[in-house]
Amino acid sequence: MKIDKLEYKKAGETVYSYEHESGLKAFVIPKKGYSKKHATYSTHYGSINNEFQVPGDKEIIRVPDGIAHFLEHKLFEQETGSVMEKFSGLGSSPNAYTGFSQTVYLFSCTDKFDENFKLLVDFVQNPYITEESVEKEKGIIGQEIMMYQDNPGWRVFFNLLKAFYSINPVRVDIAGTVESISKINRELLYKCYNTFYHPSNMVILVVGDVDHEKVFQQVDAGIRPSNRQAEIKRIFPSEPARINTNYAEQKLAVSMPQFQMGFKDDGFESKGIECLRREIAVKLILDMLMGRSSVFYNSLYEEGLINTSFDFDYTIEESYAFSLFGGESVDPAAVRDRIIGHVENIRKKGLDKTDYERIRRAMFGRFMKQLNSIERISHTFISVYFKDVNIFDYLEVYDKITIEYVNEIFNRHFNFNNLALSVIKPS
Amino acid sequence: MMQKTLPVYYSVSESISGRTVTDGGFQNEEKAEKIASFNGIDIYRIAAGKFKTSSINFFFNDNLQRDSVTLNALVPAVLRRGSGQFKSFRDIALRLEELYGASFDCGVAKKGECHIIQFYMEFISDKFTLEDTSLFENAFNLLFEIVNDPLLENGSFREDYLAQEKDNLKKLIEGRMNDKMQYGVERCFEEMCKDEPYGIYEFGYVSDLPNITSNELYAHYKRMTEDYPLQVYLAGDMDSGKVDMVMKKLSAMKRSRTKNLDCCNVEKSPETVKNITEKMNITQGKLTLGFRTNTAPGSMDYYALIVFNGILGGGIHSKLFQNVREKASLAYYAYSRLDRFKGLMVISSGVDMKNKEKAQAIMLEQLEEIKKGNISDYEYESTMKTIETGIKSLMDSQMQIVDYYLSQAVSRTSDSFASMSDKIKKVTKQDVVNVSSRIQLDTVYFLTKDSNQGGINENR
Repeated sequence: MKIDKLEYKKAGETVYSYEHESGLKAFVIPKKGYSKKHATYSTHYGSINNEFQVPGDKEIIRVPDGIAHFLEHKLFEQETGSVMEKFSGLGSSPNAYTGFSQTVYLFSCTDKFDENFKLLVDFVQNPYITEESVEKEKGIIGQEIMMYQDNPGWRVFFNLLKAFYSINPVRVDIAGTVESISKINRELLYKCYNTFYHPSNMVILVVGDVDHEKVFQQVDAGIRPSNRQAEIKRIFPSEPARINTNYAEQKLAVSMPQFQMGFKDDGFESKGIECLRREIAVKLILDMLMGRSSVFYNSLYEEGLINTSFDFDYTIEESYAFSLFGGESVDPAAVRDRIIGHVENIRKKGLDKTDYERIRRAMFGRFMKQLNSIERISHTFISVYFKDVNIFDYLEVYDKITIEYVNEIFNRHFNFNNLALSVIKPS
Repeated sequence: MMQKTLPVYYSVSESISGRTVTDGGFQNEEKAEKIASFNGIDIYRIAAGKFKTSSINFFFNDNLQRDSVTLNALVPAVLRRGSGQFKSFRDIALRLEELYGASFDCGVAKKGECHIIQFYMEFISDKFTLEDTSLFENAFNLLFEIVNDPLLENGSFREDYLAQEKDNLKKLIEGRMNDKMQYGVERCFEEMCKDEPYGIYEFGYVSDLPNITSNELYAHYKRMTEDYPLQVYLAGDMDSGKVDMVMKKLSAMKRSRTKNLDCCNVEKSPETVKNITEKMNITQGKLTLGFRTNTAPGSMDYYALIVFNGILGGGIHSKLFQNVREKASLAYYAYSRLDRFKGLMVISSGVDMKNKEKAQAIMLEQLEEIKKGNISDYEYESTMKTIETGIKSLMDSQMQIVDYYLSQAVSRTSDSFASMSDKIKKVTKQDVVNVSSRIQLDTVYFLTKDSNQGGINENR
């Protein structure tokens, strides 16, 4: 058994890895002294993969929106009953989540790790989906969709994505709609499963106080032998570089307007360390421009235009990338206009070197803090893994990033033609 | 941070709700050691070395009461705006960034009928920094200064800062309706405890705000720092030199008589069930059932109550999840949760408006099943193990360790993680049935649809 070991002394962490003959990769990040052991089994398949070509097939198929998430729910059902009950019987908490580009099955336990891990590896490999159970799930997921319709934070985000993107599937809610899920059936679910749940499209990660060799032996024994799958052709419609619209508005039962705005990005590398560099560069700029220590944030706060809910972020994935900032405001349009003025002003003056160094150090500290939480490590690891990078590659990025590069990204990303604003107003 | 994902089910975490294991597993138990007690200040140390960070927490405790609640909520909001040395929110933010992105926050929380004003600082351990600076000392000094040496103008808080923070607090109070799930639960408890301190909203009342002057708030701040019992928790990697430094600073703090706090009354039997319906422009109804358990934390029945709650609605093995969601497909989430301090229990679920009665009937039926003793081995065993997993898991988060011990102090109990786990392990099915007979429905709260609905509107 060939096991690789990578040590990250600066963070005091180690990553062990092993590749199964099927192409599945497994990783262990030991956390000495922790009670919880957290294991995930993930596929590089999420809500945006609704059009694809099955390896070996000629035709391209289009599946209903929300099917990846629907499949995530249905996988818990096994021929012998719900696998959730088996985990519960061991005192562990299983769960799963679906994002835009991955589906993650997980459990955390403090005892009987081996039994729990075997359950996880088994159930993800053995779907048991009946027509009857598919129909029953429509009621539960229907309520889940309705719950998010009343969630202003969720709505303001998806309305912004719809403003950014004309056709990219990221503009559709992860769960789909009550209408789109009504078209889901057993056959379509199996089609998606057989395409995207091949071991070579998946990854296993365990974080916690475990023996990595034993974990890899279990992987070896538990993963069904199979030939490596040819590449799945994922079809993404060719999205225009420009935004769909610069403003979206919805009325909901909220006390004051909520808003998110940002810049749709284009011309980016979405794989490798380059995408981490870009992510950190944009986050650094956003922090310098409008973070808690900026003159800008403090002026708007004192004028009552923003409050402590104001926050920012940057997302970069295979077919999309955008920055995002917002919170609550009595006048979101005024905040947008002030941001435009501010960016123009900084463009003339240039980014401040002292601010840059101070914020880079703060970001490094916040990254280290994340490593306290095994869930956090796991979540971040998986979200960057399918971009062919490792969570600890961030350390190198913080180390080697330069202000010249950050300036270059500043000039490229903050393009007012690609700025959109989404507002939720009180009804 | 804003990555959006959809979980297969919604899970509730409570301070000790929860979750557990079979054989010991508490060798690495994180303990809070009381290292000093003087002038109404208790200092605890949690020597948790496995984390990358250390944290310092200050908790000033007060009774939750109508005449001080808004003032208590306003004090930390104004204090975070500036101190004697760091004269603005921006100066504090700059300092935090210099300290390797240390986190600082403050605010109020309620635990039972105790109102807690908290100040928190977390920063990476010295071994991960580049230079030989002591982040601990710098971080402690900053936090202590924010608490103990506020920015003053003419002997009082700045008028402009006060006005801004009054406005922010007003918006925060009004904003509680934004999260419908939480709002439903809070409103249910509020209606239940209308005539008790527990019914007071921890962020206060908008109607109090116009009359609060800078002088009045400053006088109230002095009461907080001088009279309120104060608990300080130091967590993470720290040597005795650091502890000595903290003790020295705290013993120089100006203190007078320490306020005596009231006990939280948990005994009450409702005469009739209250039914409350509130309308809002929403898609999904929120059904919330509030119960009295008449069980105080630390009492013999308390541990049985925790198991009872686990069987009823504390996870995916529970009767509520299995029956409301899995069997009837009426909801995505259905759970029960305890307020351990006040002896209250709530059942909460999001359902289609038209299914309200059906869902309520299934919920109450589950309670009756337990009363009748219909608890399967699977339900009992899973609950016991889940609770043990939950208790052990708390020890993996510095913040949860601190919160656990603070909760023990507030409820005047003294369970360690291991002793809590031991007592729960002794609970039998019969104990659960016995405690269930004390549980009485008090209030049914339903948040439902208003007639006129809004829609999406996209334009250039």
